Amino acid sequence: MEIIWFGALAVLLLGYFALEGFDIGLGILLPVLGRSQEDRDRLVGAVAPFVLAGEVWLVALVGVLFGAFSTLEGEVLSGLYPLVVALLLTWITRDAGLWFRRRADGAAWRAVWDGAICLGSAGLALTWGMTLVALARGLSAPLLSLEGVVGGLVVALAFCLHGWTFAAWRLPGDPVVRGARRTGRALALTALAAAIPAGLTVAVVASTLIDHAAPPETLTTMGAIVLPCVPILVGAQVWVWRIFSRGALPTFF
Amino acid sequence: MDVVDLARTQFAVTGSLHFLFVVLTLGLAPLVAIMHTRYAVTGNPLHERMTRFWGQIYVINYALGIFTGLVMEFQFGLSWSGLSRYAGDVFGAPLAIETLVAFFLESTFLGLWIFGWHRLPRGLHVTCIWLVTLTAYASAFWIMVANSFLQHPVGSVEQGGRLVLRDFGALLTNPNLVFALPHVISAGLWTGGFVVMGASAYHLFRRTAEREFFTRSLRIGVVTAFIGSLFTVGFGYAQFGVVEDTQPDKFDGVIPGTALGLMITIGQLLQFGVMLVLLPLLIKDLLARWRWLHPVLMLITPLPFVAAIAGWLVREVGRQPWLVYGKLSVADAMTPGLSKAAIIGSFVGFAGVLGLLALIDYLLIARAVRRGPGQVSLGMPDRSADPVPQPAHSL
Repeated sequence: MEIIWFGALAVLLLGYFALEGFDIGLGILLPVLGRSQEDRDRLVGAVAPFVLAGEVWLVALVGVLFGAFSTLEGEVLSGLYPLVVALLLTWITRDAGLWFRRRADGAAWRAVWDGAICLGSAGLALTWGMTLVALARGLSAPLLSLEGVVGGLVVALAFCLHGWTFAAWRLPGDPVVRGARRTGRALALTALAAAIPAGLTVAVVASTLIDHAAPPETLTTMGAIVLPCVPILVGAQVWVWRIFSRGALPTFF
Repeated sequence: MDVVDLARTQFAVTGSLHFLFVVLTLGLAPLVAIMHTRYAVTGNPLHERMTRFWGQIYVINYALGIFTGLVMEFQFGLSWSGLSRYAGDVFGAPLAIETLVAFFLESTFLGLWIFGWHRLPRGLHVTCIWLVTLTAYASAFWIMVANSFLQHPVGSVEQGGRLVLRDFGALLTNPNLVFALPHVISAGLWTGGFVVMGASAYHLFRRTAEREFFTRSLRIGVVTAFIGSLFTVGFGYAQFGVVEDTQPDKFDGVIPGTALGLMITIGQLLQFGVMLVLLPLLIKDLLARWRWLHPVLMLITPLPFVAAIAGWLVREVGRQPWLVYGKLSVADAMTPGLSKAAIIGSFVGFAGVLGLLALIDYLLIARAVRRGPGQVSLGMPDRSADPVPQPAHSL
């Protein structure tokens, strides 16, 4: 049972990096690829339907950490205190940009929230890289380090690559990606690239995690409720990708 | 204020902000689902407009529910690591199920609903909003299971200084859950009903062109508020016995006592008002025609929100000094070594950002209400994925 819940945690973290990585990467690249307001609108429209289905992977990850690895949850989150606060604030800033950018008229309004998307995404990627490095080094090491900053830049670069590939896959031949076209296979490869930093960290902390799993009663009870729902969870995610991969762009975000 | 007080206040502020938005989400979700269903069955364009207009209010409100909810989830680990260390094997289970199943599906289906206009077949599209509603209620259930455990820690035994899960069924049938859950859900309906009522009164008072739209909406708002208020008050009084049995001194403090009085005053007056005045005035649409009453309806719209926050103050402050009642104190649950600088920094960050976004969100909701059903962006046609052709340059 410990192995199953460790697997769930690993899948959620890697899934988050693969499925949110391109949202965050495109957010960073928004002012670079989207030179005009109209280009930025199309980029956000391309990514919008995937955001709600992507960010829940992290919400679920923290829930699993609490339920299945409870002795670690408090230790990890409070041990990473400033990074977790930064992660939340940048995440919320990015999300607010997406939700609010079209809720009022005017070029200035939208420019402000596009700025929030870009800054929030950049902050989120850097924070994630620093967080992964801090986790891999153990919580006793200082949180702010050269390795951490390098880790942040690596994650940000991987997300940018993933985001750019997503744009070239969803808007093939479009001027925003200078006419480039990428296949679904290329997108899967950059998803892998975005998930590798998370995968390395999971590999480093695997034995610690498994040692701190909750007692069997807790794990079995949660498993009995969650496992039957897994096909629905997967089905809903697949449905999102089938519906929004092609065709016209939604305009709500 | 010492560090414990600051951490408590931070949790109270973010928790209250969260519930202000969640309570409306819980109330509007089923209303929007019913409107959408009527549109799908009848094909009547009025029902489509109602779905999109009230759906947009629901969705704008939903954003802040997410932002504040994220902070809530992580805050347990940030400030209260003693809780997960002592009770995480019990308390963590419902939270994990909530996030991994209920919210995971709610958010995924909400995305499908928001962006699925003109794309999903009508029946499947309606199914999405019903699944959003169902999973939102499932979320409320699991969160209340977790909260009720803090009020009355059943189903577990202490072993080696930690709580161990023994009987998960006891968590689901916790006496502090069975009346409180319908109380909270009914309060959501009541709040949703009042928002629909107040916004409709605004348009009727202003004599905008949408008379039929808002006359019907006003009816929906009053009937929803009637049902919600009846059950909120009923399941509110029903909890006194449970509280007497499990937390006999709950109302003794100044804050819980005052908040209880405020909640009951607002609740009782409004419930009578809705039942004895507003509901009968739906006959022959008198309420929609009596324009002098509309400012009153607008003014009382915030009161269910006030009552809802007061209700949480009773429940949470009344549990003090315990985090897990009778077992773990709030002071002992605080993260060891949490510094004043850390808690003040995060408090300023969370309260500042969430407070500002909450204010903007309410202004955006007010704007959407004012603009009316004629200018709704939810459900607008998609745009072509092709870039706009560049104008040809010629001399």
